[in-house]
Amino acid sequence: MNKTIIININGIVFHIEEDAYEILKNYMTDVKRHFLNSADSLEITTDIENRIAEMFSDILIQENKQVIVEQDVNSVIDQMGRVEDFDEIYEEGKTPAGSTDTYTINERKLFRDPDDHLVSGVCAGIANYFNIEPLWIRLAFALSFFFVGTGLLLYIILWIVIPKATTRADRMAMKGEKLTLQGFKNNLEEELSAVRGHINNLHDEARPVVYKMRDFAGDFFGHLGHFFEGAGKILIKLLGIAILVACFAAAIALVVALIAFIGFGQARYNHMFPFSIVESHHANYIFITAFLTAFIPVLTIIIVLISAVFGTRPVSRSTGSTLLVIWICALCALVFYAVKATENFRSEGEISKIINLKASPGNVYYLKLNDVKYLTHDDSLRLDIKNNFNDVVIKNDDNDETEPRNVSLNIERSNVPYPVLVETFKAQGSDDQDALMNARHTKYIYTQKDSVLTFDDKLYRTNGYEWHAERIELTLQLPLNAVVIIDQDLNDRVGMNGINVHDCKETNKQDNATAATFIMTNDGAQCKVDTVVTVKSPTQIDSARKAENAKTIAKLQAQVDSARRADSTIKHN
Amino acid sequence: MIVENTQTQMRKGILEYCILSIIAKGETYASDIIAELKKAQLLVVEGTLYPLLTRLKNNGLLTYNWVESTSGPPRKYYVLADEGKAVLEQLDKTWRELEFAVHTAIGDRNSTSKTEAKKDE
Repeated sequence: MNKTIIININGIVFHIEEDAYEILKNYMTDVKRHFLNSADSLEITTDIENRIAEMFSDILIQENKQVIVEQDVNSVIDQMGRVEDFDEIYEEGKTPAGSTDTYTINERKLFRDPDDHLVSGVCAGIANYFNIEPLWIRLAFALSFFFVGTGLLLYIILWIVIPKATTRADRMAMKGEKLTLQGFKNNLEEELSAVRGHINNLHDEARPVVYKMRDFAGDFFGHLGHFFEGAGKILIKLLGIAILVACFAAAIALVVALIAFIGFGQARYNHMFPFSIVESHHANYIFITAFLTAFIPVLTIIIVLISAVFGTRPVSRSTGSTLLVIWICALCALVFYAVKATENFRSEGEISKIINLKASPGNVYYLKLNDVKYLTHDDSLRLDIKNNFNDVVIKNDDNDETEPRNVSLNIERSNVPYPVLVETFKAQGSDDQDALMNARHTKYIYTQKDSVLTFDDKLYRTNGYEWHAERIELTLQLPLNAVVIIDQDLNDRVGMNGINVHDCKETNKQDNATAATFIMTNDGAQCKVDTVVTVKSPTQIDSARKAENAKTIAKLQAQVDSARRADSTIKHN
Repeated sequence: MIVENTQTQMRKGILEYCILSIIAKGETYASDIIAELKKAQLLVVEGTLYPLLTRLKNNGLLTYNWVESTSGPPRKYYVLADEGKAVLEQLDKTWRELEFAVHTAIGDRNSTSKTEAKKDE
């Protein structure tokens, strides 16, 4: 009992035994392969197939049977002739099949495997390329899907980039098999193992010849050379793969960034530089164009590297030119928006405000940095936050270094006996009026508490998100001989022309001090030597406080005592 | 190798000439051509014929008609095209020349060797 297969040769149906079918299939594969390079291959093979069909029909009628067996196929093939016999007449100068490239084994090429696929054959193709089980590649991809969809993106790109193995030659190249008739014959999918054995045999057969031809040293160096050649190729490939991975990371980062910017809106990022000048209604276009401008080169590198590393065909010319056109468009749009953004910085506006401060009784002024991270109650009341600044953006993040330093403080000599603070707001705008408006919508907070002046190191914008290079130049005018004690913090965070607290501390050999003392002379504030405020350690503060407390208690005690004494004298009297 | 090559070349030229001659007799089916060629011991395997027929057809020497068959796929019946007829006439002429040339050459060789043999006697 034998299994039969039903085949269809150009419209005629035959029942054929499985073994016979295998032989016939191999034969037809040979024939097709043989005429592959001929322009009329289809016509010739069809003629041959038709003739075979006719011969089968004749055999079935003559022998009055229904199934074609191995013997029939063999006799038909004998009559038709083997591929090797075709050569003789059809093409002159062609060497008999299988003799030229019998000893070459083709390098593997990366193709998508259409025979062994779950989705598109990418995994199976990669597995073929590295000659490992597809299961592992699939597992790796499945795992990578969970990392923010990294694997999915990679998979899709690979799907686009790697060509599908369509012809038998592709499939053989994919599995690194040699492209000879013999190889083709053996390559019928079930016979893979046989092919591997065959290749190994060829190796063993070839080796003695190699040994005979070279002496030992030559052989040794030859192998060494091959090794380094191979190693070099592998190294270059590894390098390529490393760059590829980096590019993938960049591509993913860009995609995530785009989604984040568009998804969360720009409000979250408006304090960072490039986003702070972006006008909100254009934001999404700008993000998309910026994304494309950055993403397409990365994508191009990825595609080029993949085709270089895995030896696949690069993407078609039309895809390439489409990408280029999109990139140029995106770039133009980006330049357009950039020009538009710079237009908002064309003019400068300036508003000055002179504030008379209260004179300190001892002519001593403490300049401190407002390091409070929230508005004080006083500030809120003073600015009338509730009513005046509904849409104020309050940025009190101490670590906020994303905008340029925008507060500067100059200390000058005052011509009047009280201190004066001049606030000069400056901002950029598309025209003078716009710039003035931007300057006007800038708020600055300072406080005076007796002799202590506390300055902020930042500005408050009250007209939306965009940054217009707002800055404030403060000029503090102090009377002659005023003593100014400036905190190191303030000096660090606010630009102070000509004042260097650190140097002053060094001059007084008091590096640990939190502040330095300056004195107002006719030439401006000068470092006052030997009058630094020293840092007090907690224990010192404690003991000082205790001493103070003791004094106060003693004082109170004395008062109480004297009062008692007075009482007693009254009673005595 | 050189011998084989020469044989192949000779056989190839003659094969095409013979095929054209067979088809010149009338509408012919491929297997009839094969049968005749086999009878003439020119062709060993059928597979060789199809590429040749296709090439001759593409060169405009042959055309074919499809004829329905009772026992198999439709058959191609080959006919000589006008150009084929002209070519065949030329080939006929060439063949006669060749025949004469070869006969003369071989005949000379045979006769010379015979005369030499006679002289020896």
